[in-house]
Amino acid sequence: MNEAGVATGQVVAVPGRFTNLPTLVRTYGIVLTLVILVTVVAIGNPAFLSPRNLLNMLSQWAPAGIMAVGMTFVILTGGFDLSLASGYSLCAVVAAYAGQTLSPPLAFSAAIAVGLAFGLANGLLVAVARINPFITTVGSGFIITGIALVMTENAAFLVDDPAFATLGAGTWQGIPYSGMALVAFMIVFGLILARSIYGEVIYAVGGNYEASRLSGIRVRMVVASAYVILGGCVGLAGSITASQLSSAQANLDPGIIFDVLTIVVVGGTSLSGGTGAMWRTAVGLGIIATISNGFVLLDISPYYQSIIKGTIIVAALALDTGLSRLVRAK
Amino acid sequence: MVAQPPLGETAAMQRRSESTVAIRVRKVSKAYPGVQALSDVDFDLRTGEVHGLVGANGAGKSTLIRMLSGAAAPDTGSIEVQGTTMRFEDPRALRRNGVAAIYQELTVVPEMTALSNAFLGSTPRRGPFTDRVRMRERFAELSAWMGMEVPPDATARTLSVANLQMLEIMRAIAAERDVIIMDEPTASLGPLERARLYELIARLKSRLVSIIFISHDLDEVLRLCDRISVMRDGRLTETRDTGQWSKDTLVRGMLGDVRMLPRRSGPSRAFEELLRVDDLQLPGRVADMSFTLGAGEVLGIAGLVGAGRTEVLRCVAGLEETGTGRMAIDGVPCAWPRNVREAIGRGIMLAPEDRKRQGLVLQRSALSNLLLADLAATAHGPIVSTRKQRAVATTLAQGLGFDPRKLDAMALNLSGGNQQKLVLGKWLNRGPRVLLLDEPTRGIDLGAKQEIFRSIRELSERGMGVILVSSDLEEVVEYSDRVLVMARGRQLGILDRDEASVASILNMIFIIEARPGAPGGQA
Repeated sequence: MNEAGVATGQVVAVPGRFTNLPTLVRTYGIVLTLVILVTVVAIGNPAFLSPRNLLNMLSQWAPAGIMAVGMTFVILTGGFDLSLASGYSLCAVVAAYAGQTLSPPLAFSAAIAVGLAFGLANGLLVAVARINPFITTVGSGFIITGIALVMTENAAFLVDDPAFATLGAGTWQGIPYSGMALVAFMIVFGLILARSIYGEVIYAVGGNYEASRLSGIRVRMVVASAYVILGGCVGLAGSITASQLSSAQANLDPGIIFDVLTIVVVGGTSLSGGTGAMWRTAVGLGIIATISNGFVLLDISPYYQSIIKGTIIVAALALDTGLSRLVRAK
Repeated sequence: MVAQPPLGETAAMQRRSESTVAIRVRKVSKAYPGVQALSDVDFDLRTGEVHGLVGANGAGKSTLIRMLSGAAAPDTGSIEVQGTTMRFEDPRALRRNGVAAIYQELTVVPEMTALSNAFLGSTPRRGPFTDRVRMRERFAELSAWMGMEVPPDATARTLSVANLQMLEIMRAIAAERDVIIMDEPTASLGPLERARLYELIARLKSRLVSIIFISHDLDEVLRLCDRISVMRDGRLTETRDTGQWSKDTLVRGMLGDVRMLPRRSGPSRAFEELLRVDDLQLPGRVADMSFTLGAGEVLGIAGLVGAGRTEVLRCVAGLEETGTGRMAIDGVPCAWPRNVREAIGRGIMLAPEDRKRQGLVLQRSALSNLLLADLAATAHGPIVSTRKQRAVATTLAQGLGFDPRKLDAMALNLSGGNQQKLVLGKWLNRGPRVLLLDEPTRGIDLGAKQEIFRSIRELSERGMGVILVSSDLEEVVEYSDRVLVMARGRQLGILDRDEASVASILNMIFIIEARPGAPGGQA
């Protein structure tokens, strides 16, 4: 715990005080929410915990989850990216367009390259030109959507090549490739955040930009790089979706930005930057995915779904901050 | 301009004239962890007087005015304002208390207009709406009375410090405060702006507003105040009418007889030149600074707040883009550092004045902060080694007298002294050749201060050069081999150790500061 604690940038226990309840609650309160949700849904419909359902969820949530991995980096630096949904659609379109003529690996690489390029552009605007990330990415989002519309003339690109569907729909021993990609991204980028110099610097820059700059850290490069990582994640997520659908269009899923932000923030990563962790994003993903899947399994009327989803999200955050405050007051 | 009395004059003046004493402080004591900030202070502020409050840093002036303005509660003793005892457990009553404090860090909202700022907290209303018309009238009225020329629609961000200060004073007048506390109001003002403030103070006095005036400029205090109180080590040692004070007696009262002596005597040692800076300029702030720093030497920079001390350090550390000058290291000329990384590359590192804003990543652990400036040293390639980190951080912590068991605590939760050790340790980890220390002991207790200077001395004995900026002149005198004295962005001279004393430094500064429009011309 003490090493992991240092790495998460969250409240840290003094060695030997691992059993300290307040610290434990403050750090892991959000896990409790996930456990409660899973229990409720599993009791309501035991099929929830079946391997088939879980693997299905993994594949279904792979695009949003992978983008949440990148978004965690951006938010940790104190930034924000609202162009994500546009970039996601454009990357899917690029993958589908290229997939009509090129081999699938080349098509996906093209999509990822486009994602990285837009990530770099966002990053440079935010870090070097010092334009507010909110404005920058709203603007770049419009541009990206525009490019996708021009490319597609608002029609869907269809891909006939069955190999194109492998990334999104293929499995190995029953495990979906897209789910494997999600888990691999979580682990690899989680380790980078927790254990590498680069991760340390991400936390430092997000926590105190000026102190980091005075410490000789290349602050602008660090901030820009977070957007590039997110761009790459968006490229892969777009590729997976295009592959799952064997098609893509300019307005794929504008609402996915909210899923991604909710995943990161519900996990407990702070929007003001500097505190949070990848495991938190994983827990956030678990919560959001369980809620959505629970609706289907418990056969809840779609009319009520939004209300319930919203309530659970707010309650989860309230529980987390409420518990922390309660514990801190002692 | 006609001194048209602002509206509400009669009621407010009536209230004020009902009592001869505006503030009465009795037997007030206050302790902070590790420091007895105030002990048994008695203090009277008479109605309509200008009362000077002088004392060295840490004498307790700020604690006292924080209490008078309701920002801190005394441990024991009582405070009466206009005959009413302050009840610190009731924040709403405190808000109605008639004391306004104008601090050096001004409390205007930068994005709001001058008009809105002037009435912040006491906005004229008509029903649920703000009464803009009334606000404008009142603003014009008060501006004329104060002799202030600030356009009401100007954004506060665009105004000079002097004008912002005027706005704050206007806010106090608009809210009909009976007492105004001014904490070093002239520190960042030029001669003309000072004259304007003096005139305004005289006018406030004529309306029976009582004023507590804090300044390090003793000539100014002697000229402006009716009575002067001296504070030292948390006690209010003496209050006298101004006629019975002189600059000498004030200085002696502030510092005590014993403390006038430099603690280390003997001529400065000879050092091998490590750093040479020539013709350092920062447009509008600092001009014509030239000095050398020897290997193993501690060069103190003394001056008042606003003299340009911090700017000198920031220029040398590559933080001021418009700073220019010539630099030589070990006698070899090198380009002026244009950014932090270049300065660090030459071994020049700055421990900045504002620990929380510029020094530390507060929500990270002590360990992370200690290693921040040299992450590569505790990593295998790009991967951090937690084992190495802990070993290095523990060694650093022990060298600084920082309890290694606190390495995992968030920097936010540490004491000021421990935080300062982290800022220092961060650079010591990197092995600086020249360490620039800006106010390293501000707000930290005596024990931590000793430990910090012990570490600094150990390192300078091994050849590190140190430039020390501190508002605590005794500290500068005690720990420096030579002292560079500056005022208003200029270098007045460099004193050797046997010449440097608090008195000699103050004399040097006050000769210049007392002369309006002196060298440098206060940009």
